[in-house]
Amino acid sequence: MDLITLEIQWQRLISIMDEVDNATVRTSFSTIVGESRDFACILVDEAGSSLCQSNFSPPNFCVVLPRTSKVLLEKFPLHTLAEGDVLCTNDPWIGTGHLPDYVVLTPVFWQGKPVAFMGTVAHLTDVGGHRGDIEAYDVFTEGIRIPPSKLYLAGQENPLLFDVIGSNCRVPDMVLGDLRAIVGTHSLGARRLVEFLNDYGLDDIVALSDEIHTRSERLMRERIAALPDGVFEFGLDIDGYIETVHLQARVEIRGSDIYVDYTGTSPQTRLGAINCVYNTTYASTLYPFKCALVPRIPNNEGLFRPVHVTAPKGCILNCDGTHPVQARAKVTNNINQVLFGAVWPILGEHAQAGSGSIWPFSFSGQADGYGVFSAHMLPHGGRGAMAELDGLPPIAFPHNSAVTAIEVMETRAPLLFLCKEFLPDSAGAGYRRGGVSQTIRVRNIGQAPMNARLRPDKMFCEPPGLNGGKPGKVGEVRWNGSVLTRFPPLEFKPGDELEMRMPGGAGFGAVAERPRALVERDLALGYISAEGAAADYGYTP
Amino acid sequence: MKQKSTARYRFGFDIGGTFTDFVLIDGESGKIHSYKTLTTPHEPAKAVMEGWHKLLADVAGDGSDVEIAIHGTTLITNALIERKGAVTILVTTSGFSDVLDTQREMRYDIYDLHAPQVHHLVPRPLRFEVTERLDGFGAVVQPFDASGLQQMSDTLTAAGVLAEIEAVAVSFLHSYANPSHEEQAKAWLTERMPHVALSLSSEVAPQIREYERMSTTVCNAYVQPLTERYLRQLQGELSDGGFQKKLYLMLSSGGITTLERASSFPVRLIESGPAAGVLAAIFYGEMTGQANLVSFDMGGTTAKMCVIRNGQPAMSDNFEVARVHRFKRGSGLPVRVPTIELIEIGAGGGSIAHLGELGLLKVGPESSGADPGPACYGLGGTAPTVTDADLLLGYLNPDYFLGGRMQLDRAAAEASMVPLAQRLGIDTTATAHGIFQVVNENMISATRVHVAERGVDPRGLHLMAFGGAGPVHAHAIARALKMAGYICPAGAGVTSALGFLTAPTAFEFARTFMAKVTSNALLQMDAIFAELEAEGRQTLLEAGVPAADITFARRADLRHVGQGHEIVIDLPYATLAGVDVDQELRPLFYRHYAEIYGYAHQHLGLEVATCRLTASGPRPKVTVQQSERQTDAAETAGKGQRLVYFAELGGFVSTPVYDRYRLPPGATFAGPAIVEERDSTAVVGPHSSVRVDAFANLIVTLQE
Repeated sequence: MDLITLEIQWQRLISIMDEVDNATVRTSFSTIVGESRDFACILVDEAGSSLCQSNFSPPNFCVVLPRTSKVLLEKFPLHTLAEGDVLCTNDPWIGTGHLPDYVVLTPVFWQGKPVAFMGTVAHLTDVGGHRGDIEAYDVFTEGIRIPPSKLYLAGQENPLLFDVIGSNCRVPDMVLGDLRAIVGTHSLGARRLVEFLNDYGLDDIVALSDEIHTRSERLMRERIAALPDGVFEFGLDIDGYIETVHLQARVEIRGSDIYVDYTGTSPQTRLGAINCVYNTTYASTLYPFKCALVPRIPNNEGLFRPVHVTAPKGCILNCDGTHPVQARAKVTNNINQVLFGAVWPILGEHAQAGSGSIWPFSFSGQADGYGVFSAHMLPHGGRGAMAELDGLPPIAFPHNSAVTAIEVMETRAPLLFLCKEFLPDSAGAGYRRGGVSQTIRVRNIGQAPMNARLRPDKMFCEPPGLNGGKPGKVGEVRWNGSVLTRFPPLEFKPGDELEMRMPGGAGFGAVAERPRALVERDLALGYISAEGAAADYGYTP
Repeated sequence: MKQKSTARYRFGFDIGGTFTDFVLIDGESGKIHSYKTLTTPHEPAKAVMEGWHKLLADVAGDGSDVEIAIHGTTLITNALIERKGAVTILVTTSGFSDVLDTQREMRYDIYDLHAPQVHHLVPRPLRFEVTERLDGFGAVVQPFDASGLQQMSDTLTAAGVLAEIEAVAVSFLHSYANPSHEEQAKAWLTERMPHVALSLSSEVAPQIREYERMSTTVCNAYVQPLTERYLRQLQGELSDGGFQKKLYLMLSSGGITTLERASSFPVRLIESGPAAGVLAAIFYGEMTGQANLVSFDMGGTTAKMCVIRNGQPAMSDNFEVARVHRFKRGSGLPVRVPTIELIEIGAGGGSIAHLGELGLLKVGPESSGADPGPACYGLGGTAPTVTDADLLLGYLNPDYFLGGRMQLDRAAAEASMVPLAQRLGIDTTATAHGIFQVVNENMISATRVHVAERGVDPRGLHLMAFGGAGPVHAHAIARALKMAGYICPAGAGVTSALGFLTAPTAFEFARTFMAKVTSNALLQMDAIFAELEAEGRQTLLEAGVPAADITFARRADLRHVGQGHEIVIDLPYATLAGVDVDQELRPLFYRHYAEIYGYAHQHLGLEVATCRLTASGPRPKVTVQQSERQTDAAETAGKGQRLVYFAELGGFVSTPVYDRYRLPPGATFAGPAIVEERDSTAVVGPHSSVRVDAFANLIVTLQE
């Protein structure tokens, strides 16, 4: 295939997925899809390999979806699919590691046979189960698990499956509305793909897919080969839940391959729903390498091939099929930090110190004037510094999502937020300082209790610094003034107040090397206090 | 003798980054006079007065003959991009001033770890908080307490900077639902800090979502002082030049407004130039009988597209200004005011071709700009650009670029392609054609997504091609999008300035109102619309529109119950009381929703999020002179033949070249053909037919 045609056709495929993405935002019902953008739209070829994703899709979903597709296609082989069939599952071990993420896969028919799939992974609002988040003994308490199934049969809703899903969640209109919206966006994407095939007179996308994968893999291998061969190890203690968890990574660069092994990592646990299925460990491992080595190449499966990931069965990064997984992000969000901790010396300016994590929380209940409500917010701590860049103030990392507007939260639920503001002195010091974090305080102003779920992180183990940079400061949750350390579902009563002080990003490089002028600027901006400047930087006016 | 009693001319002028364009329309004959001169950035009025005197001299008129002057400018956008606005402070609800920095907490690039932060316009030390609080329904939780403002004033005084503050933005939570606290703050500030320009979020952008509203209000405050100074000076200079009427301004929404209103809400003027280009496209569409269009303006660095349905442009509230990464969504400062929705991508004549990391051919978004410009300009540029490719493919005439004012260097264009060609393993012609295809695909993809978002079928659309490079690329784009055809309007060089003169005096109002749609909610909406209408009527009366000529159009952002995003629905009712929700409104919504997204959730009721009102004066009647000469003989305009590359025909084919200025109205001919004019060249591909209409527009119909 010539290089000009390849470029044109590839861009066109990405633009099709952007259109699907856009329609998803505009037709969705939940804040988590519509406002937080916790979903991805991915084009998958007939073999189940991911070909491209919309520009705003979270990176991990694209890595996992092909693995899911291949399982779905084992159960529903390509030749048995009919036009208008839609496949789905939310099985954590087949999909992306926890029940709320539904994978929806729609075959696209052309000239009478399936030639590709529209794929969406979306975090839906509710899957039933207990009202908690992080405290669960097993996955069965966490909600309904839909094994690989047909959501639609030849264009018709599968009434039994819709009933089952709807009957097993608290906000069926929202969940089923989102599922229907996703299927609607797939028929739009399918029409666009058929137009594309027709315009170029193609019978299928096999050659195009092969070309994209081969070229991407070749470049990824060149970039890896340019790194020095060697073995790099790093161990990192993270919060876990109730008990600290240890992550241990051994990264071997050998020729044009990267081998990552997590032997030495803590075993799976029943203390908290923080176990990771292999799929998410795999995806989270790829992400920092993608960012550091090939940030500008559109994500596709070819880039993943040279990276090999192993984690012992039964460890927290490769848990078995019964363990609770709902809050796995508490572990997966730290994987980039353990990997940067190992390989930063060979990544130069592309390594990033530890970040303050995502602190998701949600409120649900029923109230006059609001009806049955469920409102989510996904705020963040500060971001880690890099060799030549101060860490950014609260921003999503390593995933990507948008924070729900305070005003939207307050119109959806009887809440009053008291502040959403920077937390001075939270950032780790260094030649480049970490990102400043934030404090959010919220009160129930309704007449009735509501259910609150929150999942803080890095309240005990600090985000690690690199190259001598200091760690970010740990976070803290206060419930009517008292510090909370456990997070079963909380009954948030009228007048109750919750305060979340999020962790700061970690620093990069020796503190002594930070220019005095930058310390003074941070003082003037209020990112650090006079006491903080003295304690963290030894600064005296 | 000249008649002094009736002012007969309408004067429009657009101050762009490089050129200031002028149009003077003679209301009696319909004749359009135009002029173009270099912008005088430090003293914009200088270029304006040059054009003013030049055009008046052309028609042997004087200032009192001009009935109206309408203006658009990039000055405000530039002040935001270059951060050359006023020293501005921000006042927020206690606990929320850092929202200006935390923003949406979303990354605009998910793989670029180095993507810089989007800094806003008010640094943290200039942000202040006051005690006050409203809940999600606008009810007072905590009354407004002015002591925070007093402390602010004391702090600024103590720091000795109070006098330096030029502008204040006030943005309180939920002020869209209840402006009373912001109004109390305004009363205090007006009394104690009378020298500052004041922007209230409840006036600038009364819509839900605190960051976006705050951002809009800050942008407004930031450019308010300079806009006011500038407009007053301009009005003064025009008065000195004999102009006796008021100066009007073009808005991003395509309406026009008074100097006073523009000075209060300058953020509404940001996209005035591009908006006027779209209005000109609508104007040419009416002239040629096409109400469904995509306006397509391709210049040196960017291409801008806008969907027009039934003569109405696509509108949006979501606009970003001053992007860190020019073409990356999410990397700019959000501005939520009614704006004609254009998509802008980095594709222009100067866009540079290069090989990406995978060895694939990429074009743009980097541009060679005007200096050094494309290699063929011979000004020292060596990078291969779209213009170089267009030259090598025979689309451009090296001896007639800018009407012959600039000689293009074919050898330099060829040489610029060699390194790319070698790395691609193809010849320079194939490379040039590759550049042509890739830049086209960038525009095609962007347009396709934009058209689809509007639920429009491209087969019923015409492309209206402007800008130096627009007519060169229009054929390929219209063909790929399966459009019916395309139009290259006559005299497209000064389109924005012309667009000013075709716009009615109009102002758009939007207010967030969140409720389930019930007959009771309709009554509340009527009350909101009545308030907006009163505001609109007042605004238009101040602008001199007679009360009898004022019309209102009501729209609402509606969604299914529980849904996160809305679509805008025209409400064809003068009053909503008595409208049956289930029998009338719901079907109306479902029909529109299904048109865009394929299906609607008919079992779900509706929610309203925003009420919108457009208050308009009458649309000015612009009659353009028609040529009386009608003939179908195109031959007289022939300039011979040259070799032009058409992939559909297998490569270079001998193609007739026409002189645009000698093509008689009524002439028809078939593609392939080249039509040359001073500022552009129309490249008409095969399987098409061209007609020159009575106004000298080229209308190209594509055959299946």
